[in-house]
Amino acid sequence: MIPVPAPVLYAARDEWKDVVPITQYEKANPLAPILYSEEYKDATDYFRGIVQAGEKSERVLQLTEHVIRLNPAHYSAWQYRYETLLALQSPLDAEVALMDELADKYLKTYQVWHHRRLLLIRAGLPGAPAELAFIAKILQQDEKNYHTWAHRQWVLAFFNDDELWAGELDFVDMMMNKDVRNNSVWHHRFFLVFQAGVREGEEDRERIVRREIIYAKQNISLAPNNASAWNYLRGVLEFNKLPLSTVGPFIRPYTVSLADPVDDGIDLENPGPGRGAELPCAAAVEFLADVYEEEGKASVSKAVELWKSLAEEHDTIRKKYWEYRIQQALVRT
Amino acid sequence: MTSTLRPVPMDAFPTPTSASQAETEKVLLEHLPAEDKADPTLQKNAHMQFLIRNLVQGFPARYTSQDASQAWLIYWTLQAFSVLQVGLDPGNKQKAVDTIMAWQHPDGGFGGGPRQAAHLLPTYAAVCALAIVGSPGEGGGWDQINRKKMYNFFMSLKQSDGSFLVAHHAEVDVRGIYCLLVTATLLDIITPELVDGTAAFVASLQTYEGGFSSASQPYYAPASAPNALPTLLETPRPPLGEAHGGYTFCALASWVILQPFLPSASSPSQPKINKNSLLRWLVQMQGARVELGGFKGRTNKLVDGCYSWWVGGAFALLESIGISPVALPASPEKGPEGKDADWDDIDDALFNRKALQEYVLYAGQHPAGGLRDKPPKHADAYHTLYCLAGLSSAQHKVSPSPTRRKELLDSWKDADSTTNEFRKRIFTDALCYTEEEGTEKIVGGAANRVNATHPVFNLTITHTEGIMAHFYKQTVPPRIFKSAATAKT
Repeated sequence: MIPVPAPVLYAARDEWKDVVPITQYEKANPLAPILYSEEYKDATDYFRGIVQAGEKSERVLQLTEHVIRLNPAHYSAWQYRYETLLALQSPLDAEVALMDELADKYLKTYQVWHHRRLLLIRAGLPGAPAELAFIAKILQQDEKNYHTWAHRQWVLAFFNDDELWAGELDFVDMMMNKDVRNNSVWHHRFFLVFQAGVREGEEDRERIVRREIIYAKQNISLAPNNASAWNYLRGVLEFNKLPLSTVGPFIRPYTVSLADPVDDGIDLENPGPGRGAELPCAAAVEFLADVYEEEGKASVSKAVELWKSLAEEHDTIRKKYWEYRIQQALVRT
Repeated sequence: MTSTLRPVPMDAFPTPTSASQAETEKVLLEHLPAEDKADPTLQKNAHMQFLIRNLVQGFPARYTSQDASQAWLIYWTLQAFSVLQVGLDPGNKQKAVDTIMAWQHPDGGFGGGPRQAAHLLPTYAAVCALAIVGSPGEGGGWDQINRKKMYNFFMSLKQSDGSFLVAHHAEVDVRGIYCLLVTATLLDIITPELVDGTAAFVASLQTYEGGFSSASQPYYAPASAPNALPTLLETPRPPLGEAHGGYTFCALASWVILQPFLPSASSPSQPKINKNSLLRWLVQMQGARVELGGFKGRTNKLVDGCYSWWVGGAFALLESIGISPVALPASPEKGPEGKDADWDDIDDALFNRKALQEYVLYAGQHPAGGLRDKPPKHADAYHTLYCLAGLSSAQHKVSPSPTRRKELLDSWKDADSTTNEFRKRIFTDALCYTEEEGTEKIVGGAANRVNATHPVFNLTITHTEGIMAHFYKQTVPPRIFKSAATAKT
């Protein structure tokens, strides 16, 4: 390994001579101090110095970049950097290029994503397509990164432009093919289809709902014990105020043990469990119990039986919850 | 026991999620002792040593990433002490107060360290830390908090959709809203003006899964007249990001705090949340036996000790929003306390309290002290507190008590203020939490007992009472029966 030369401290640089560095704790001998490196201590001493002086200049951009590289969660450095960019009316593209590097490196910090958002708001819609491409690249390395997905949804919602949205369902399919259990992808799909307005070509809502139900069913058929797909199916029905029984015939084969491989008479509306399926699937049993509860009257006792089977056999960790469901259903009848 | 544990079913359909899940199950099972082994022990001493080392010697250089979270480092450490039933000596208490007060911003609020910008998250951490170590009077911290400026700082962050930025030029995030509401509640600066529209914002974060996301995006109709403001639309108002344990806790606790400010239930403008789907989502976050019953933070993610609090702790808030099992006739005592057979009979919790304790005890404890996400990770200050607080929420059942509420109402003294009704409601809502006698359940026996913690604030009830009594200028009536919810410190 090539040894990295120690950085020259600000305290030793002529061009910083005019700044008065400020140590962190001027009076208190603090409890629970962090044992910083010399480099970090020096850079933040000078950062406090320029904040105190109110300086907004090119070298402040260098200093804040340095602090951020040492600690990307230093929100005050980000905040001051942004104010400096505004004061200097700095060109956006250089900043965006720097952010591409930093977001890649520090993708788990809030600040890198928020700073991009501030830049994008200033760049306006022309900056948005490149942003979606950048986010897609980051999501290849970290497929469930919360900030990155939330940022993508913000870009789409904020600019609210049909052209920008055009490739999104394909993007979902691509990510889903990589991992059908990635819940972030499922959430993104729900956001796209139901929560942020109706897109061009999707005005026929009945058709869209049918499409989404089939989409969930097909994915359940691939890997039946996938909570994300079941939650999506429930979500679609509830959001569109459809009864759970809409998918009753689909659920049933998933609620019983599979003695023999399914008769492969392919039913596109109700795809059955695939060969590797581990059945009965607790999510399906739960779903069927909800269908019975929804039917009410005599069916409630069937729901109770299913909840008992979950409590005693298929999903014992949630025993208390299944007992609660039984209790609530009985109180109501 | 180990042999009967079924892996989470993956249907012979491998994906990256199933691979990391299987790897985690393997590691966790290695931490499950054989059936005949002695009960698990909470290594209180080792955890104390870990906390004291951080506090006195300081945090190692890798904590530089938390330089903007110094307020959190101190809060996590002090509150972990409180949960472990330990208090600081007067010298270190004073040192803590002096350190915390160095973070107050001249324009109100607290930063993550000296001369850092004010931010909602460290403001919560600093004020809660002061609730633990501060006191009235000069140098005590409490009376040096500039509440007027803090209120102005809060108002300066307010957005037209009822949300708040976490700091100037920063993001909107429900963690910040929780932190603001807790701080404003403790310091008696919460007002209808401050929280106008906030409940509707919180409600908009609930996703189709039932849990809550970090933020939502507002849409506006153009202004109808040249001088009018654009109107916020009820829909679309999409959540940004999926349902998540940390955000769900913050949203639910915020929702609980905001109850007194909601318009009447019959009002058409009453914001609503779906309680059934929330409950379903919370219980679904508990991992299976093969995951030792720990909690995860999102669907199809891995269990992590910190969700013992963010999700496990959220159950204690459900009664405040009307979710609780119907009271069943008390079952007669059967045998010695703590044996498996009794658990199911007397325990009316909605999650598996025993399994959660086992996760923290078997997987959450680092052998060298401190607690962690899961093995083989390092311990850190954050996981140490939230594993312990989660353990606490599984040991104790703390819930709002009508009796305690009445005692508080009876002893309330009106101040010279037009907002007495609100203040009284906030005060009694916050302080009426009590631990029901006979509901304590401790895996591994009494030596593993930790203190109860307030389900909204994550402070002991004693510390919550102390700071609120001071700022609301009230005398809190003593608790009549011996309650384990009262801290021993």
